[in-house]
Amino acid sequence: MSTTSIRVNGKAPAAPAVGAGIQTPVLAPPVWVDENPSLRDITDDIARPLEARPGKGWYICFGIAFAALLNLGGMVSYLFAKGIGIWGLNNSVGWAFDITNFVFWVGIGHAGTLISAILLLFRQQWRTSINRSAEAMTIFAVMCAGLFPAIHMGRPWDAFFIFPYFPNQRGPLWVNFRSPLVWDVFAISTYLTISLVFWYLGMIPDLATLRDRALGGIKKFAFRLLSLGWNGSQRTWARYEIVSLVLAGLATPLVLSVHSIVSMDFATSLLPGWHTTIFPPYFVAGAIYSGFGMVLTLLIITRSTMNLQRYITLRHLDKMAKVTMLTGMIVSYAYLTEFFAAWYGGNLYERYHFINRATGPYAWCFYLMVLCNVVTPQLLWTKKARTNVTFLFIVSIMVNIGMWFERFVIIVVSLHRAFLPSGWGMFYPTIFDIGILVGSFGLFFTCFLLFIRVLPMIAMWEIKGVVGHGAHKMALSSDEEEVTVNA
Amino acid sequence: MQTENADAMKQHFTSVENSMNHSGEGNGAKGHCKSPKEHLVQIGGPDVPAYWKSMEELENGPRYKGEFPGGLPSADARQETTRRDFLAAMGFTLAAAGLAGCRAPVQNAIPLLVGSDEIIPGVANFYATTCRGCASSCSLLVKQRDGRPIKIEGNAESTIFGGGTCATGQATVLSLYDDERLHGPLWHGKPASWQEIDQHIADTLRASEGSKREIVLLSGTTNSPSTRRIITEWQKRYPNFRHVEYDAVSLSAMRAANAQSFGRAVVPHYAFDKARVIVGLEADFLGTWLSPVEFARQYAANRKPEGVPALHVQFESGMSVTGSNADVRVAVPPSQLGLVVVALLRRIARKAGTPPVAGTQDPIEAKKLDAVADELWKHRGESLVVSGSNDISIQLVVNALNSALGNIGKTIDLVQPSMQRSGDDAAMADLVAKLQRGEVHTLMMHGVNPAYDYPEPEQFLAGLEKVALSISFSDRRDETSSHAHVICPDHHFLEAWGDAEPVESHFSLAQPLIAPLFETRAAQESLLKWVGHGETDYYNYLREFWSTDIFPRQKETKNFDAFWERSLQDGVVAVPPRPTGAMPKDIMQKFQADGKAAVDKIFSEAAAHGSTTGDHFEVHCYETVALRDGRHANNPWLQELPDPITKVTWGNYAAIAPSVAKKLNLSDGDVVKLTAGKRQLELPVFIQPGQDTRTIAVALGYGRSQVGRAGQNVGVNAYPLTSIQGEYRRYFAGNATFEKTGRTEKIGTTQTHFSMEGRPIVLETSLEELHKAAEPEEETVPTLWTERLHGEHAWGMAIDMNSCTGCSACVVACQAENNVPVVGKDQIERIRIMHWIRIDRYYSGTEEEPVSVHQPMMCQHCQNAPCETVCPVLATTTSSEGLNQQVYNRCIGTRYCANNCPYKVRRFNWYNYTENPQFDFNMESPLGRMVLNPDVAVRSRGVMEKCSLCVQRIQLAKNTALQGERELADGEIQTACQQSCPTQAIVFGDLKDPNSRVSQMQRNQRRYKVLDELGTRPNVSYLKKVRNPLETA
Amino acid sequence: MRLQLVLMGVVGAALAVGAGAYQLSRIGIHQGYSPEQPIAFPHKVHAGDNKIPCLYCHYAARTSRHAGIPPASVCMNCHTVLEKQTVEIEKLKEAVQQQRPLRWVKVHNLPDFVYFNHSQHVVSGVACQRCHGPVETMERVSQVAPLTMGWCLQCHREHAKVPVGELERAAVGLKQRQKPAAGLDCASCHY
Repeated sequence: MSTTSIRVNGKAPAAPAVGAGIQTPVLAPPVWVDENPSLRDITDDIARPLEARPGKGWYICFGIAFAALLNLGGMVSYLFAKGIGIWGLNNSVGWAFDITNFVFWVGIGHAGTLISAILLLFRQQWRTSINRSAEAMTIFAVMCAGLFPAIHMGRPWDAFFIFPYFPNQRGPLWVNFRSPLVWDVFAISTYLTISLVFWYLGMIPDLATLRDRALGGIKKFAFRLLSLGWNGSQRTWARYEIVSLVLAGLATPLVLSVHSIVSMDFATSLLPGWHTTIFPPYFVAGAIYSGFGMVLTLLIITRSTMNLQRYITLRHLDKMAKVTMLTGMIVSYAYLTEFFAAWYGGNLYERYHFINRATGPYAWCFYLMVLCNVVTPQLLWTKKARTNVTFLFIVSIMVNIGMWFERFVIIVVSLHRAFLPSGWGMFYPTIFDIGILVGSFGLFFTCFLLFIRVLPMIAMWEIKGVVGHGAHKMALSSDEEEVTVNA
Repeated sequence: MQTENADAMKQHFTSVENSMNHSGEGNGAKGHCKSPKEHLVQIGGPDVPAYWKSMEELENGPRYKGEFPGGLPSADARQETTRRDFLAAMGFTLAAAGLAGCRAPVQNAIPLLVGSDEIIPGVANFYATTCRGCASSCSLLVKQRDGRPIKIEGNAESTIFGGGTCATGQATVLSLYDDERLHGPLWHGKPASWQEIDQHIADTLRASEGSKREIVLLSGTTNSPSTRRIITEWQKRYPNFRHVEYDAVSLSAMRAANAQSFGRAVVPHYAFDKARVIVGLEADFLGTWLSPVEFARQYAANRKPEGVPALHVQFESGMSVTGSNADVRVAVPPSQLGLVVVALLRRIARKAGTPPVAGTQDPIEAKKLDAVADELWKHRGESLVVSGSNDISIQLVVNALNSALGNIGKTIDLVQPSMQRSGDDAAMADLVAKLQRGEVHTLMMHGVNPAYDYPEPEQFLAGLEKVALSISFSDRRDETSSHAHVICPDHHFLEAWGDAEPVESHFSLAQPLIAPLFETRAAQESLLKWVGHGETDYYNYLREFWSTDIFPRQKETKNFDAFWERSLQDGVVAVPPRPTGAMPKDIMQKFQADGKAAVDKIFSEAAAHGSTTGDHFEVHCYETVALRDGRHANNPWLQELPDPITKVTWGNYAAIAPSVAKKLNLSDGDVVKLTAGKRQLELPVFIQPGQDTRTIAVALGYGRSQVGRAGQNVGVNAYPLTSIQGEYRRYFAGNATFEKTGRTEKIGTTQTHFSMEGRPIVLETSLEELHKAAEPEEETVPTLWTERLHGEHAWGMAIDMNSCTGCSACVVACQAENNVPVVGKDQIERIRIMHWIRIDRYYSGTEEEPVSVHQPMMCQHCQNAPCETVCPVLATTTSSEGLNQQVYNRCIGTRYCANNCPYKVRRFNWYNYTENPQFDFNMESPLGRMVLNPDVAVRSRGVMEKCSLCVQRIQLAKNTALQGERELADGEIQTACQQSCPTQAIVFGDLKDPNSRVSQMQRNQRRYKVLDELGTRPNVSYLKKVRNPLETA
Repeated sequence: MRLQLVLMGVVGAALAVGAGAYQLSRIGIHQGYSPEQPIAFPHKVHAGDNKIPCLYCHYAARTSRHAGIPPASVCMNCHTVLEKQTVEIEKLKEAVQQQRPLRWVKVHNLPDFVYFNHSQHVVSGVACQRCHGPVETMERVSQVAPLTMGWCLQCHREHAKVPVGELERAAVGLKQRQKPAAGLDCASCHY
């Protein structure tokens, strides 16, 4: 290798010194792609899934996912025909699987935005090979999330009442801006829009590449349309960089706001177990935790099925595992705080609720949640664990399960024993509760599997920036001084 | 575009339409000063049933069914609408699917053919009549809307019953619209015309003349004086005629005892309001016994903590409504009940210095009995001992006790006795014997169902086979009438004229509220026809009877027409009592003579069952406030009414004590096989705190095998466990055993947790505190919200926890008033009951001796309503008059409000409960829907609903005030629950008016608000329950 | 060239959506609905030319929630003495003779779940024409008012001295709490 880049952290050394060829400590540049592929290899590798026929693995996964999706369709139409009664809900427990799934899926989304926006601002290069798929995941997750508020009313044709619009025939009649559900509508729709734009924008250069590779026909036409006439000129790139930075800036607050607002569905109500001020940070941490869990799951599957181990390296998994561990511990802390507050606050109902959470009929959900969200992350302290793919996969699944149950515990356990003991009751899921939950996973994975077939699941241009073919100046738009020394 | 709402609203309009036409025929039905014949057009006459005419939905009904009531455009007169909307639809193909529902179906309006000044479509009239739900014969005021009776209310004119009703009474209006009633007479199971049937019967009766074999009229308690007169006509006409009165749950032992003690075979008229000490012995006088509405009223009036509340001690085996209200409740197995009475009498006799009473043993701890005896003695002449036991020896001792205490003539009135139960077990047993010997030629059965509720139905049926002619007046093919040769269905009481004499010389009139729906005929008319009386029209006969029998006994007016008018209008008439012979004041001497036997019998009885230990139990059969003796089993409102104590709906169970459950490790719903003698029942157990450990309680009235869709085979028939001991029926069985079957059954209970968990929900206080404390400490929780401005009113409600007995009349009243759907057992098990008002029942104390409270709970109409802030679409808001209003067509069904409601009073429509075959109750059948209140929308699927404080009544009253150009008066608006409450525990009114009753109650020092510390600021407040326990030295 | 195409596309789509939305917003509004009646009863002749007061026939409107369609007997009050004969009047008499109730077609159908009480409005002195339009000039009655909630509220607000305009109302609301008026409560029409 003829050149190595030296970073002098902090102040840059004076130019003449360089000329004098004084040896300064040499660090290897962080390498995020193994086997040092050529730029062409990168393009080929990443474009392969789009151009070659998919393997058996993909077909099996897709088959299962699609079956689940069909089941979702069937069950939802039955729901619309018959009514919410087909779920296990009752007078005591008005929300259960529906809103649990909603919060769960919104949470999943967060990892994508965090990776693509926040890590971009923090100039984390390792994001380059995972951000595209993570963003895609965000969008599909938010789609799944959006499904539930729509169907949990049982009468989608009335859903439009929740959108404020003027004029209307009713006087006019507005929505209740005090209601967190209305805030949700705004939060989620904003989130979906920004994520979509960000995702699409990030793809344009790659789409252009694909356009140029395409041999013609519908494919070429589609990519031409989508790449908006991208011509990798210097000016284009410069503007492009700025736009993505701006968008990143826009998206960053969303990472925090969206789940904070979702958490207010509960925090602003007066139910013991819901009425808690720590919900917003607690929910955000939980969201990122679950999100990274899901990213891990997805990437571990895809890197092996699409053999992209080169690009999604163990170092990537390691980084993600670290984030998971951190957020996991924030969540555990939140659990502790809740119990402490209940005891310290001395509120009769609050206390009863948390005793009931740990000893009541749903205690098993609580302990499952603790196992998955408190104990599991602790297993990630060792590097060995963080780089063992199978182990990480199991952990990530545990995280997903744990976070789903966290929401279930918060929602159902709080509702089933509220203020008046005469109004207490139990919730038992019906086949439709479970079927629709499974169905939502079907929707999610169907979308994702299609995505990895028709769009580049790794940002080629960003990868190329970090493989270190000198082209990387462009990618790491760093204000740190770059010095090249002849060896 | 609430597609389903169109569905629901169709209900709304349908009912209006029916009514419009309906009133056409219904019109004369209550024309009270005229003969019914002048106007009564028989609906459902031989030609096509008239009331279908207006129900055009009947023909094209299906089109409205389902999710998109508008259906597809069809080629009838609906062209204009469909085309216009279709074009609209074209605008946006996306919306096309939804739009199908947006086409307003053509609505027809069918005016009366002949106008009437009395019937104005949309304006309700109230008419006085008499309840026939049971023999208590309460006086009613029935709301008739467009010719249809739709709501039962108590008649405040009645000095006996006041304005209250019971749950059963409230529900009887639904039985009227039961489409499983017979639509006409049956001859040997086949429809026949009244003429042929009259012919047949006349012939057979003629044949019976001269023969030894008897003609028997077997009826329930008959306290209608005019009907009794008709019966005497029969006795005159047929020397071989006999009238037998038979009550499924009878008091005949009491009547016999009174005959023996006082020389009068009557059921006395009790005055619970005059008693300072009340001792109840297995008598559920607040729930089901004799005249609960009257007694509840007296009882509550007598226990106001502001005065000196009466002491109430209850000895009973199973937990009854009465027991749950008692200051002291002692669990005693039925067989040992006698010992309690004797033990009390022994103590009283000692104090009175009369010769001692035999025996020394005490069934329960002596010092309790001492305390009770002291209290009784302290309040001689103003105490009352009542026993519901049908054992003559117990009743004799009770009589002795009461007369020793000098209660006769004070709290116990034998001069003007009650006529509310006159069944005679001995006569019935004799009849069955006669039947089997074939000595009965003709048997007419009215208001009885022995094949279901007689201890030995087989024997009765065997005998029934032997009669030449058996006639039933039953309104349906039931267990008995299906074996009769002829069924001549009687009217429902809301279709019929009639009168009643619940208490000697207190009369109550009954007038039809609607023309008969089916081809039924008043039983009295049939009887008049068959006896060959000149006057075969019951109305004329009744009027004639009143002019000759009752009119002369009153002094107010000389003009009979005026008297008749007023009587019909008021519904009740009281005349001076008939002269009676002198009453023996003190019967103790007499008792010394013949009481000995009674006491000995009690001892032997108790000894016989004394062995009831370990795995042998006694089974106590009781009536529930909902189903009573079982005659209303097909009434879905009653089936779904939670039992005041166990909160169980749709079915009965074996109530066992918690200790027993532990011992045999049984849990709720385990099905056990109950064996008593040769009888066996299989039914689920229910663990009941306070249940006597040696007794299992099983409710009567369930397990009807032939009654109709709603009541068919719900629960198990417990009558076989009752027996005939000597001359009297016994409602408990000794030496019963039970073993697990291993099966379990779901029990549809509406309240699963019975402890308050130490939360301030029902607050209690003691008399001392009450007299100590001065004003209510006015604690106001700080709030972040700005103070609400109020319009000209601020509606509020106050509920006196001390008066509420938990009788549940309000629950059914609310259901009737507000079109609350019936959801069925399955949905109840899923905790989806729809009742807007529920009565929470909490226990405190030990499992053996629980202290229970009943708390009516409905929407608290919070000023800072938690539901209001969370609804995304403003479907629930607080009105300028403090009502928490729920707007059905704005509700999109997020259920957030219900989750955030601390009182859990909001009800979600999980399904469409109207016109949905899945819920095959009254709202499914077109006839059943005629009971719906047109002033309250029928909610459709996916919307939240809850108590509205009867806003429709508020609006109506405002409107009437507006028309009369006057202000609203306090008490003018009564919510349905308030109106029905026999104890007046519920008061509604304007909190802005400082003099309104509700404001005064809110100033009461017992006032508190449930979960006030949450800062919800409810407009409904409660008055603390006051305990005054009996000090046992 | 391409730009123009794109622009045209966008504009076209916008128009389509706008039109669709407008159509949607008109759903359930049946202004101008004027169905054929079993008897072609001319309000013009009765209420217009002969000045019969509305409440003579629709007497229920004074006391009831329904204005009510007069019973045939009310028609016959006059038509027994009037010798004028037409086919339509024959239909009426025939119906009366056959004791066959007439099935009129309701013209003014309110949306679902609305409780409207005629007497309340009549007694408060609201002219029939205010909602039903100039019926006395109509040969066949047709619906004039949109009968939407907004339309009702307009009048209710005027009477409650609340600004009708959305913005004015908002302004008032921001300045100080409006005086509560029962006529504007949801529960005065919805229960």
